[in-house]
Amino acid sequence: MSEEAIVIVGAGHAGVQAAVRLHELEWPGRILIVEEQAGDTYERPPLSKEFLKAGAGEDVAPLRKEQYFADKGIERVTGSVAAIDRSARRVVLADGTALEYARLILAPGSSARSLKVPGGDLEGVHLLKTRDDARALRTALHPGARVVIVGAGYIGLEVAAAAAALGCDTTVLEFMDRVMSRVTSEPVSRFFEQVHASHGTRFVFGAAVTELRGEGRVEEVITADGATYPADVVVAGIGVVPRQELAAAAGLAVRDGILVDLDSRTSDPDVYAAGDATRLVDQQHGIDRRLESIQSAQAQAVNAANSIMGQPSARHEVPWFWTVQHGVRLQTAGLRLPEDEIVLRGDPASGKFAVLYLREGRLAAIDTVGSLADFISGKKLVAAGAALDPDLASDPAVKLSATVQEPVAQTR
Amino acid sequence: MTTTTKTTINVVDRDGQRRGVEWEPGQSLMETLRDNDFPILASCGGTASCATCHVFLDKAVVDTLGPRSSDELELLEEQEAYDPETSRLSCQVERCESLDGITVTIAPEED
Repeated sequence: MSEEAIVIVGAGHAGVQAAVRLHELEWPGRILIVEEQAGDTYERPPLSKEFLKAGAGEDVAPLRKEQYFADKGIERVTGSVAAIDRSARRVVLADGTALEYARLILAPGSSARSLKVPGGDLEGVHLLKTRDDARALRTALHPGARVVIVGAGYIGLEVAAAAAALGCDTTVLEFMDRVMSRVTSEPVSRFFEQVHASHGTRFVFGAAVTELRGEGRVEEVITADGATYPADVVVAGIGVVPRQELAAAAGLAVRDGILVDLDSRTSDPDVYAAGDATRLVDQQHGIDRRLESIQSAQAQAVNAANSIMGQPSARHEVPWFWTVQHGVRLQTAGLRLPEDEIVLRGDPASGKFAVLYLREGRLAAIDTVGSLADFISGKKLVAAGAALDPDLASDPAVKLSATVQEPVAQTR
Repeated sequence: MTTTTKTTINVVDRDGQRRGVEWEPGQSLMETLRDNDFPILASCGGTASCATCHVFLDKAVVDTLGPRSSDELELLEEQEAYDPETSRLSCQVERCESLDGITVTIAPEED
């Protein structure tokens, strides 16, 4: 029994958290993390933020120091997984190594979506997902470089901020009519557009990239309306794709993500999955979603370990997200829907405001800009399903917690 | 540099248990607590964004550490267990020689 192994595929936030939690709960057998490259256990958020700044160090912080894994007896194996053999309960690496498992935890993460247009793979075209990607991009972002960023989501805008700060000539091409349209509402979008514009970044909305051209390396970006944007560097920030291929090949249920339940269990009771590669489905609570969130990845990892060790599933924390652009921090708690009622709290011109998303009168999500107090308090109110008085809540002088207008409903 | 001197701290866990741990150079207080298996979530990775690494230090120690940033204060003030004199976010406390021997108490878990 004691030699039974839990194999964890992936050394990102989810994979490491699963190992840490199994250690905490005293799993009696081996704990093995399979990492694609040695040293994959590093913090991801800084890659598009601090790591791209002038004077940033050569490396990003590790998720745990090297000695930690040795001290806790967590083994690490370097190699890419070629196949999962569920009938033999083993994982086969590309070099033929077979790792037998008692339980398997898949945490392979996601990959950055590449530009599927002619010239999309020219030299000078960057994606940003790994530390190597970030290093390559950082080298390319020299003062005066013409940088065209495709996609105005978190990653695209964080890169735009870094590029502008480094003195690059920065243009953002976005298919939709505003920045971060998938994750936030109009007032927040317009505010951040202004922040970037004030640092010299140009935006083109409704832009559909059709082709990249250049002799050997990228020289220009062409859009559907025939416009041409000269470019030394192109960065595609057009989302991620869950890495579900191995799971799918092994016959596990997948649908834009490896399907997992609230205990992070896949369609095979001995196989769990956590993090960006997963889609959480729970019909009882009406949940069917794929999140790109560290906190969610870690919670799923903890629940996988809990389930393996016969512990109850931990409460699911309200999903939350953050981005920092030109030093301005946007923090979001909860998941908004486009049809939510919007309450603006404070004046965006002041640089400190929040947008509340009310669903049937209850706080479903909150975006906060430069207002961490509202973030923390809003996150608690979202968790509680609190109903807010919209008029009161629109006044930033009134504490958010003082705008609750009826007994708080119980949620799970 | 203070890297040659050992810094040991006494940590009081949520259940009142006390344990001495070594604070290694190059780590924030949060990282030291986390790596020694204390229940520090630190979901934001140490960027003063989430308040899940809240601890209490002695007032006299807090006074020697210099002022808290406005971000840290805003986060702390929203914690139910916030104490203006002793609360800190451990991710914002860097190691230094004068902290040898201090007592760190992990704040209660909040929603």
